[in-house]
Amino acid sequence: MSDEDSTHFGYRSVDKDAKAGLVAEVFHSVAARYDLMNDLMSGGVHRLWKRFTIELSAVRPGQAVLDIAGGTGDLAAQFAGLVGPEGRVVLADINASMLQVGRDKLLDTGRIANIEFVQADAQYLPFPNDSFDCITIAFGLRNVTDKALALRSMLRVLKPGGRLLVLEFSKPRNELLSRLYDAYSFNVIPRIGRVVAGDSDSYQYLAESIRMHPDQDTLKEMMEDAGFVECSYHDMTGGIVALHKGIKA
Amino acid sequence: MSAPLDPTLHTAALAALEAAINRALALTPQGGAELAPFDGQVFALHCSAPAADIYLHPGARGIRLSGVHEGPVTTSIRGQAGDFTALATSGDPAATLINGNLELEGDSAPLIELQKVLSSLDIDWEAPLVSTLGDVAGHQLAQVLRGAFSWGRQAADSLARQLEEFIHEEARLSPPRLEVEDFYGDVRELGHRVDRLQLRVERLRRQLDKLRG
Repeated sequence: MSDEDSTHFGYRSVDKDAKAGLVAEVFHSVAARYDLMNDLMSGGVHRLWKRFTIELSAVRPGQAVLDIAGGTGDLAAQFAGLVGPEGRVVLADINASMLQVGRDKLLDTGRIANIEFVQADAQYLPFPNDSFDCITIAFGLRNVTDKALALRSMLRVLKPGGRLLVLEFSKPRNELLSRLYDAYSFNVIPRIGRVVAGDSDSYQYLAESIRMHPDQDTLKEMMEDAGFVECSYHDMTGGIVALHKGIKA
Repeated sequence: MSAPLDPTLHTAALAALEAAINRALALTPQGGAELAPFDGQVFALHCSAPAADIYLHPGARGIRLSGVHEGPVTTSIRGQAGDFTALATSGDPAATLINGNLELEGDSAPLIELQKVLSSLDIDWEAPLVSTLGDVAGHQLAQVLRGAFSWGRQAADSLARQLEEFIHEEARLSPPRLEVEDFYGDVRELGHRVDRLQLRVERLRRQLDKLRG
Protein backbone atom coordinates (compact mmCIF):
# COMPACT_ATOMS: atom_id res chain seq x y z
CA MET A 1 0.00 0.00 0.00
CA SER A 2 1.67 3.25 -1.13
CA ASP A 3 1.65 6.47 0.96
CA GLU A 4 -0.76 8.07 -1.48
CA ASP A 5 -3.28 5.28 -1.02
CA SER A 6 -3.03 5.16 2.77
CA THR A 7 -4.09 7.34 5.62
CA HIS A 8 -4.16 7.00 9.38
CA PHE A 9 -6.97 5.63 11.45
CA GLY A 10 -5.76 6.45 14.94
CA TYR A 11 -2.23 5.03 15.05
CA ARG A 12 -2.99 2.48 12.34
CA SER A 13 -2.26 3.07 8.69
CA VAL A 14 -5.23 2.03 6.57
CA ASP A 15 -6.33 2.24 2.97
CA LYS A 16 -7.90 5.62 2.18
CA ASP A 17 -11.05 3.94 0.93
CA ALA A 18 -11.41 2.06 4.19
CA LYS A 19 -11.14 4.99 6.63
CA ALA A 20 -14.65 6.37 6.09
CA GLY A 21 -16.15 2.97 6.87
CA LEU A 22 -14.02 2.53 9.99
CA VAL A 23 -14.91 6.03 11.27
CA ALA A 24 -18.56 5.30 10.52
CA GLU A 25 -18.39 2.18 12.71
CA VAL A 26 -16.96 4.25 15.58
CA PHE A 27 -19.77 6.77 15.45
CA HIS A 28 -22.54 4.23 14.88
CA SER A 29 -21.28 2.65 18.08
CA VAL A 30 -21.13 5.78 20.22
CA ALA A 31 -24.04 7.86 18.82
CA ALA A 32 -26.57 6.95 21.49
CA ARG A 33 -24.28 7.95 24.37
CA TYR A 34 -22.33 10.68 22.54
CA ASP A 35 -23.55 13.68 24.57
CA LEU A 36 -23.15 11.89 27.88
CA MET A 37 -19.64 10.75 26.98
CA ASN A 38 -18.64 14.28 25.92
CA ASP A 39 -19.80 15.63 29.27
CA LEU A 40 -18.02 12.89 31.19
CA MET A 41 -14.76 13.05 29.25
CA SER A 42 -14.43 16.82 29.27
CA GLY A 43 -16.12 17.56 32.59
CA GLY A 44 -18.63 19.66 30.66
CA VAL A 45 -15.92 21.93 29.26
CA HIS A 46 -16.86 21.01 25.67
CA ARG A 47 -19.89 23.24 26.17
CA LEU A 48 -17.59 26.21 26.83
CA TRP A 49 -15.50 25.44 23.74
CA LYS A 50 -18.69 25.37 21.67
CA ARG A 51 -20.01 28.52 23.30
CA PHE A 52 -16.85 30.40 22.34
CA THR A 53 -17.25 29.06 18.80
CA ILE A 54 -20.75 30.53 18.68
CA GLU A 55 -19.38 33.90 19.88
CA LEU A 56 -16.68 33.95 17.24
CA SER A 57 -19.14 33.00 14.50
CA ALA A 58 -20.69 36.50 14.57
CA VAL A 59 -23.82 34.93 13.09
CA ARG A 60 -26.68 37.41 12.70
CA PRO A 61 -30.42 37.09 12.06
CA GLY A 62 -31.27 36.05 8.52
CA GLN A 63 -27.96 34.34 7.76
CA ALA A 64 -27.31 30.82 6.46
CA VAL A 65 -25.13 28.52 8.57
CA LEU A 66 -23.75 25.06 7.80
CA ASP A 67 -22.70 22.91 10.75
CA ILE A 68 -20.62 20.04 9.33
CA ALA A 69 -20.17 16.89 11.41
CA GLY A 70 -22.87 18.51 13.50
CA GLY A 71 -23.56 15.27 15.32
CA THR A 72 -26.05 15.71 18.07
CA GLY A 73 -26.84 19.31 17.15
CA ASP A 74 -25.30 21.34 19.99
CA LEU A 75 -24.12 24.12 17.68
CA ALA A 76 -27.06 23.92 15.28
CA ALA A 77 -29.52 24.48 18.13
CA GLN A 78 -27.75 27.70 19.13
CA PHE A 79 -27.40 28.89 15.53
CA ALA A 80 -31.12 28.30 14.95
CA GLY A 81 -31.87 30.85 17.66
CA LEU A 82 -29.35 33.36 16.35
CA VAL A 83 -30.39 33.32 12.67
CA GLY A 84 -34.08 33.54 13.60
CA PRO A 85 -37.05 32.64 11.41
CA GLU A 86 -35.58 34.41 8.36
CA GLY A 87 -32.33 32.45 8.60
CA ARG A 88 -31.35 28.89 7.78
CA VAL A 89 -29.25 26.29 9.55
CA VAL A 90 -28.12 23.07 7.89
CA LEU A 91 -26.99 20.28 10.20
CA ALA A 92 -24.83 17.94 8.15
CA ASP A 93 -23.17 14.71 9.21
CA ILE A 94 -21.79 11.80 7.22
CA ASN A 95 -22.99 9.37 9.84
CA ALA A 96 -26.67 8.40 9.75
CA SER A 97 -26.76 7.36 13.42
CA MET A 98 -25.33 10.66 14.63
CA LEU A 99 -27.69 12.60 12.36
CA GLN A 100 -30.64 10.60 13.66
CA VAL A 101 -29.73 11.37 17.28
CA GLY A 102 -29.22 15.06 16.45
CA ARG A 103 -32.48 15.30 14.54
CA ASP A 104 -34.46 13.59 17.31
CA LYS A 105 -32.91 15.88 19.93
CA LEU A 106 -33.66 19.07 18.01
CA LEU A 107 -37.19 17.96 17.11
CA ASP A 108 -37.84 17.13 20.76
CA THR A 109 -36.85 20.67 21.74
CA GLY A 110 -39.13 22.17 19.10
CA ARG A 111 -36.34 23.46 16.86
CA ILE A 112 -37.65 22.58 13.44
CA ALA A 113 -38.66 25.74 11.60
CA ASN A 114 -35.28 26.83 10.29
CA ILE A 115 -33.14 23.69 10.52
CA GLU A 116 -32.47 21.21 7.72
CA PHE A 117 -30.78 17.84 8.17
CA VAL A 118 -28.47 16.56 5.47
CA GLN A 119 -26.34 13.41 5.39
CA ALA A 120 -23.23 14.65 3.64
CA ASP A 121 -19.53 13.97 3.24
CA ALA A 122 -17.43 17.04 4.16
CA GLN A 123 -15.14 16.34 1.19
CA TYR A 124 -17.99 16.59 -1.32
CA LEU A 125 -20.53 19.01 0.12
CA PRO A 126 -23.80 18.79 -1.82
CA PHE A 127 -24.54 22.51 -1.91
CA PRO A 128 -24.23 25.21 -4.59
CA ASN A 129 -21.26 27.58 -4.57
CA ASP A 130 -21.47 30.62 -2.26
CA SER A 131 -24.35 29.25 -0.15
CA PHE A 132 -23.41 29.95 3.47
CA ASP A 133 -22.38 32.93 5.62
CA CYS A 134 -20.72 30.69 8.18
CA ILE A 135 -19.53 27.09 8.31
CA THR A 136 -18.55 25.30 11.49
CA ILE A 137 -17.00 21.88 11.98
CA ALA A 138 -16.56 20.92 15.62
CA PHE A 139 -14.51 17.84 16.47
CA GLY A 140 -15.09 16.48 12.98
CA LEU A 141 -12.16 17.45 10.76
CA ARG A 142 -9.74 14.92 12.23
CA ASN A 143 -12.08 12.10 11.16
CA VAL A 144 -12.14 13.24 7.53
CA THR A 145 -10.01 11.15 5.19
CA ASP A 146 -8.73 14.01 3.00
CA LYS A 147 -8.73 17.19 5.08
CA ALA A 148 -7.39 19.40 2.27
CA LEU A 149 -10.18 18.26 -0.03
CA ALA A 150 -12.75 18.96 2.70
CA LEU A 151 -11.37 22.45 3.34
CA ARG A 152 -11.57 23.27 -0.37
CA SER A 153 -15.13 21.98 -0.47
CA MET A 154 -16.04 24.23 2.48
CA LEU A 155 -14.42 27.22 0.76
CA ARG A 156 -16.50 26.57 -2.33
CA VAL A 157 -19.87 26.61 -0.55
CA LEU A 158 -19.01 29.65 1.62
CA LYS A 159 -20.17 33.04 0.43
CA PRO A 160 -17.40 35.60 -0.21
CA GLY A 161 -16.72 37.23 3.16
CA GLY A 162 -18.10 34.18 4.96
CA ARG A 163 -16.12 32.44 7.65
CA LEU A 164 -15.09 28.91 8.48
CA LEU A 165 -14.61 27.92 12.12
CA VAL A 166 -12.80 24.68 12.90
CA LEU A 167 -13.05 23.55 16.51
CA GLU A 168 -10.75 20.61 17.04
CA PHE A 169 -8.46 18.92 19.52
CA SER A 170 -4.93 20.20 19.18
CA LYS A 171 -1.55 20.25 20.92
CA PRO A 172 -1.21 21.43 24.55
CA ARG A 173 1.41 24.17 24.90
CA ASN A 174 2.65 23.12 28.31
CA GLU A 175 4.76 19.96 28.62
CA LEU A 176 3.34 19.02 32.02
CA LEU A 177 -0.22 19.55 30.84
CA SER A 178 0.59 17.47 27.76
CA ARG A 179 1.77 14.52 29.89
CA LEU A 180 -1.26 14.69 32.17
CA TYR A 181 -3.51 14.91 29.14
CA ASP A 182 -1.84 11.87 27.54
CA ALA A 183 -2.22 9.84 30.72
CA TYR A 184 -5.88 10.83 30.98
CA SER A 185 -6.60 10.18 27.29
CA PHE A 186 -5.05 6.72 27.10
CA ASN A 187 -5.83 5.40 30.56
CA VAL A 188 -9.07 7.00 31.71
CA ILE A 189 -11.10 7.82 28.58
CA PRO A 190 -11.18 4.28 27.10
CA ARG A 191 -12.32 2.97 30.51
CA ILE A 192 -15.11 5.54 30.71
CA GLY A 193 -16.03 4.48 27.16
CA ARG A 194 -16.16 0.82 28.17
CA VAL A 195 -18.35 1.48 31.22
CA VAL A 196 -20.70 4.11 29.79
CA ALA A 197 -20.88 3.43 26.06
CA GLY A 198 -19.87 -0.25 26.21
CA ASP A 199 -17.08 0.44 23.73
CA SER A 200 -13.47 1.12 24.70
CA ASP A 201 -12.01 0.69 21.19
CA SER A 202 -13.86 3.72 19.84
CA TYR A 203 -12.48 5.88 22.61
CA GLN A 204 -9.00 4.44 22.10
CA TYR A 205 -9.40 5.61 18.49
CA LEU A 206 -10.50 9.06 19.78
CA ALA A 207 -7.29 9.43 21.82
CA GLU A 208 -5.10 8.22 18.94
CA SER A 209 -6.81 10.32 16.28
CA ILE A 210 -6.25 13.45 18.38
CA ARG A 211 -2.49 12.78 18.43
CA MET A 212 -2.42 12.26 14.68
CA HIS A 213 -4.31 15.49 13.95
CA PRO A 214 -2.26 18.47 12.69
CA ASP A 215 -1.13 20.94 15.35
CA GLN A 216 -2.34 24.54 15.48
CA ASP A 217 0.12 26.06 13.01
CA THR A 218 -0.08 23.16 10.57
CA LEU A 219 -3.87 23.37 10.40
CA LYS A 220 -3.63 27.13 9.90
CA GLU A 221 -1.28 26.54 6.96
CA MET A 222 -3.67 23.93 5.54
CA MET A 223 -6.49 26.47 5.66
CA GLU A 224 -4.34 29.05 3.91
CA ASP A 225 -3.33 26.47 1.29
CA ALA A 226 -7.02 25.72 0.69
CA GLY A 227 -7.56 29.42 -0.12
CA PHE A 228 -8.81 30.92 3.13
CA VAL A 229 -7.50 34.34 4.13
CA GLU A 230 -7.05 36.11 7.48
CA CYS A 231 -6.53 32.73 9.12
CA SER A 232 -6.00 32.73 12.88
CA TYR A 233 -6.61 30.52 15.87
CA HIS A 234 -7.35 30.66 19.59
CA ASP A 235 -5.84 28.09 21.93
CA MET A 236 -8.36 26.92 24.49
CA THR A 237 -7.72 25.09 27.76
CA GLY A 238 -3.98 25.36 27.28
CA GLY A 239 -4.09 24.21 23.66
CA ILE A 240 -5.95 20.94 24.28
CA VAL A 241 -8.44 22.42 21.85
CA ALA A 242 -7.96 25.13 19.23
CA LEU A 243 -10.51 27.18 17.35
CA HIS A 244 -9.32 28.14 13.85
CA LYS A 245 -10.95 30.85 11.81
CA GLY A 246 -10.59 31.55 8.11
CA ILE A 247 -12.39 33.91 5.74
CA LYS A 248 -13.33 33.39 2.10
CA ALA A 249 -11.97 36.33 0.13
CA MET B 1 -2.00 33.96 17.54
CA SER B 2 -3.45 33.34 20.97
CA ALA B 3 -5.87 35.30 23.14
CA PRO B 4 -4.18 36.80 26.23
CA LEU B 5 -6.63 35.07 28.58
CA ASP B 6 -7.60 31.47 27.85
CA PRO B 7 -11.07 31.82 26.30
CA THR B 8 -12.22 28.81 28.30
CA LEU B 9 -11.92 30.76 31.58
CA HIS B 10 -13.52 33.91 30.21
CA THR B 11 -16.33 31.91 28.64
CA ALA B 12 -16.90 29.91 31.83
CA ALA B 13 -17.23 33.08 33.91
CA LEU B 14 -19.64 34.63 31.42
CA ALA B 15 -21.70 31.45 31.16
CA ALA B 16 -22.06 31.26 34.96
CA LEU B 17 -22.98 34.94 35.25
CA GLU B 18 -25.44 34.71 32.35
CA ALA B 19 -27.13 31.66 33.89
CA ALA B 20 -27.48 33.45 37.25
CA ILE B 21 -28.86 36.64 35.66
CA ASN B 22 -31.41 34.76 33.57
CA ARG B 23 -32.48 32.62 36.52
CA ALA B 24 -33.05 35.84 38.50
CA LEU B 25 -34.94 37.41 35.57
CA ALA B 26 -37.15 34.33 35.32
CA LEU B 27 -38.23 34.89 38.95
CA THR B 28 -39.57 38.40 38.27
CA PRO B 29 -43.34 38.82 37.78
CA GLN B 30 -42.99 39.35 34.01
CA GLY B 31 -40.25 36.75 33.65
CA GLY B 32 -37.96 39.34 32.06
CA ALA B 33 -40.34 39.96 29.14
CA GLU B 34 -39.76 43.71 29.58
CA LEU B 35 -36.40 43.25 27.88
CA ALA B 36 -38.02 42.28 24.55
CA PRO B 37 -37.83 45.86 23.16
CA PHE B 38 -34.04 45.72 23.49
CA ASP B 39 -33.77 42.83 21.04
CA GLY B 40 -30.90 43.49 18.64
CA GLN B 41 -29.20 46.11 20.83
CA VAL B 42 -25.71 45.42 22.15
CA PHE B 43 -24.10 47.06 25.20
CA ALA B 44 -20.34 46.75 25.59
CA LEU B 45 -18.37 46.92 28.83
CA HIS B 46 -14.65 47.28 28.08
CA CYS B 47 -12.51 46.78 31.15
CA SER B 48 -8.85 47.75 30.70
CA ALA B 49 -7.47 46.47 34.02
CA PRO B 50 -7.90 43.55 34.22
CA ALA B 51 -8.42 43.32 30.45
CA ALA B 52 -11.86 41.92 29.73
CA ASP B 53 -14.69 42.71 27.37
CA ILE B 54 -18.30 41.85 28.12
CA TYR B 55 -21.11 42.36 25.63
CA LEU B 56 -24.71 42.38 26.87
CA HIS B 57 -27.37 41.23 24.40
CA PRO B 58 -30.75 41.81 26.07
CA GLY B 59 -33.86 40.40 24.43
CA ALA B 60 -37.12 38.56 24.88
CA ARG B 61 -35.27 35.46 26.10
CA GLY B 62 -33.30 37.31 28.80
CA ILE B 63 -29.76 38.60 28.62
CA ARG B 64 -27.03 36.88 26.65
CA LEU B 65 -23.41 37.65 27.57
CA SER B 66 -20.49 37.25 25.23
CA GLY B 67 -16.79 38.02 25.32
CA VAL B 68 -16.56 38.63 21.57
CA HIS B 69 -18.83 40.67 19.34
CA GLU B 70 -18.30 41.72 15.75
CA GLY B 71 -20.81 44.28 14.60
CA PRO B 72 -22.34 47.54 15.72
CA VAL B 73 -22.59 48.33 19.44
CA THR B 74 -25.41 50.51 20.78
CA THR B 75 -23.54 51.87 23.80
CA SER B 76 -20.11 51.14 25.16
CA ILE B 77 -18.52 51.97 28.51
CA ARG B 78 -14.75 51.87 28.91
CA GLY B 79 -12.78 51.92 32.16
CA GLN B 80 -10.94 49.91 34.79
CA ALA B 81 -12.56 47.32 37.06
CA GLY B 82 -12.37 49.79 39.97
CA ASP B 83 -14.31 52.39 37.98
CA PHE B 84 -17.09 49.90 37.17
CA THR B 85 -17.25 48.77 40.81
CA ALA B 86 -17.32 52.39 42.00
CA LEU B 87 -20.21 53.10 39.65
CA ALA B 88 -22.08 49.95 40.63
CA THR B 89 -21.76 50.52 44.37
CA SER B 90 -21.92 54.33 44.46
CA GLY B 91 -24.70 56.01 46.39
CA ASP B 92 -24.55 58.81 43.84
CA PRO B 93 -23.92 57.08 40.50
CA ALA B 94 -24.51 60.18 38.36
CA ALA B 95 -21.75 62.02 40.21
CA THR B 96 -19.51 58.96 39.88
CA LEU B 97 -20.19 58.82 36.16
CA ILE B 98 -19.48 62.55 35.76
CA ASN B 99 -16.43 62.70 38.01
CA GLY B 100 -15.08 59.18 37.45
CA ASN B 101 -12.81 57.80 34.76
CA LEU B 102 -15.42 55.88 32.78
CA GLU B 103 -15.77 56.75 29.10
CA LEU B 104 -19.18 56.47 27.50
CA GLU B 105 -19.44 56.02 23.72
CA GLY B 106 -22.47 55.75 21.48
CA ASP B 107 -26.08 56.38 22.32
CA SER B 108 -26.55 56.72 26.08
CA ALA B 109 -30.38 56.80 25.96
CA PRO B 110 -30.84 53.02 25.39
CA LEU B 111 -28.40 52.31 28.24
CA ILE B 112 -30.36 54.52 30.62
CA GLU B 113 -33.59 52.93 29.38
CA LEU B 114 -32.15 49.45 30.00
CA GLN B 115 -31.08 50.48 33.50
CA LYS B 116 -34.57 51.83 34.18
CA VAL B 117 -36.21 48.59 33.09
CA LEU B 118 -33.77 46.43 35.05
CA SER B 119 -34.13 48.53 38.19
CA SER B 120 -37.92 48.46 37.93
CA LEU B 121 -37.84 44.65 37.81
CA ASP B 122 -36.71 44.54 41.46
CA ILE B 123 -34.65 41.44 40.84
CA ASP B 124 -33.75 39.14 43.72
CA TRP B 125 -30.13 38.36 42.85
CA GLU B 126 -29.32 36.50 46.03
CA ALA B 127 -30.93 33.11 45.45
CA PRO B 128 -29.69 32.30 41.93
CA LEU B 129 -26.19 33.67 42.58
CA VAL B 130 -25.76 31.81 45.84
CA SER B 131 -26.92 28.58 44.23
CA THR B 132 -24.46 29.12 41.36
CA LEU B 133 -21.42 30.53 43.13
CA GLY B 134 -21.85 29.59 46.80
CA ASP B 135 -22.78 31.67 49.84
CA VAL B 136 -19.89 34.12 50.11
CA ALA B 137 -19.13 34.89 46.46
CA GLY B 138 -22.84 34.81 45.58
CA HIS B 139 -23.77 37.29 48.30
CA GLN B 140 -20.96 39.68 47.38
CA LEU B 141 -21.80 39.59 43.68
CA ALA B 142 -25.48 40.04 44.51
CA GLN B 143 -24.64 43.23 46.40
CA VAL B 144 -22.68 44.59 43.45
CA LEU B 145 -25.49 43.68 41.04
CA ARG B 146 -28.13 45.20 43.30
CA GLY B 147 -26.14 48.43 43.20
CA ALA B 148 -25.56 48.23 39.46
CA PHE B 149 -29.15 47.51 38.52
CA SER B 150 -30.64 50.14 40.81
CA TRP B 151 -28.28 52.62 39.20
CA GLY B 152 -30.95 53.90 36.81
CA ARG B 153 -33.32 54.84 39.60
CA GLN B 154 -30.58 56.42 41.72
CA ALA B 155 -29.07 58.17 38.72
CA ALA B 156 -32.40 59.75 37.77
CA ASP B 157 -32.93 61.07 41.31
CA SER B 158 -29.40 62.30 41.63
CA LEU B 159 -29.34 63.90 38.19
CA ALA B 160 -32.60 65.74 38.93
CA ARG B 161 -31.18 67.06 42.21
CA GLN B 162 -27.91 68.18 40.66
CA LEU B 163 -29.69 69.81 37.73
CA GLU B 164 -31.97 71.69 40.11
CA GLU B 165 -29.00 73.03 42.10
CA PHE B 166 -27.20 74.06 38.94
CA ILE B 167 -30.21 75.92 37.52
CA HIS B 168 -31.01 77.69 40.78
CA GLU B 169 -27.70 78.38 42.47
CA GLU B 170 -25.03 78.45 39.78
CA ALA B 171 -26.58 79.46 36.48
CA ARG B 172 -29.32 81.52 38.16
CA LEU B 173 -31.60 80.52 35.30
CA SER B 174 -34.53 80.20 37.65
CA PRO B 175 -35.13 81.44 41.24
CA PRO B 176 -35.07 78.90 44.08
CA ARG B 177 -38.37 77.39 45.20
CA LEU B 178 -38.58 79.50 48.43
CA GLU B 179 -38.07 82.72 46.49
CA VAL B 180 -40.75 81.67 44.04
CA GLU B 181 -43.12 80.79 46.90
CA ASP B 182 -42.46 84.21 48.55
CA PHE B 183 -43.06 85.91 45.24
CA TYR B 184 -46.30 84.00 44.67
CA GLY B 185 -47.34 84.87 48.28
CA ASP B 186 -46.74 88.57 47.57
CA VAL B 187 -48.69 88.32 44.32
CA ARG B 188 -51.58 86.61 46.17
CA GLU B 189 -51.52 89.32 48.88
CA LEU B 190 -51.46 92.04 46.23
CA GLY B 191 -54.39 90.37 44.52
CA HIS B 192 -56.36 90.36 47.78
CA ARG B 193 -55.59 94.04 48.39
CA VAL B 194 -56.65 94.91 44.86
CA ASP B 195 -59.90 92.98 45.45
CA ARG B 196 -60.49 94.82 48.72
CA LEU B 197 -59.69 98.18 47.07
CA GLN B 198 -62.08 97.40 44.28
CA LEU B 199 -64.85 96.63 46.81
CA ARG B 200 -64.17 99.92 48.61
CA VAL B 201 -64.29 101.82 45.33
CA GLU B 202 -67.58 100.12 44.52
CA ARG B 203 -68.98 101.04 47.97
CA LEU B 204 -67.84 104.66 47.61
CA ARG B 205 -69.39 104.81 44.13
CA ARG B 206 -72.73 103.54 45.52
CA GLN B 207 -72.61 106.13 48.38
CA LEU B 208 -71.90 108.95 45.85
CA ASP B 209 -74.83 107.74 43.69
CA LYS B 210 -77.09 107.84 46.81
CA LEU B 211 -75.98 111.42 47.71
CA ARG B 212 -76.66 112.63 44.13
CA GLY B 213 -79.97 110.77 43.96
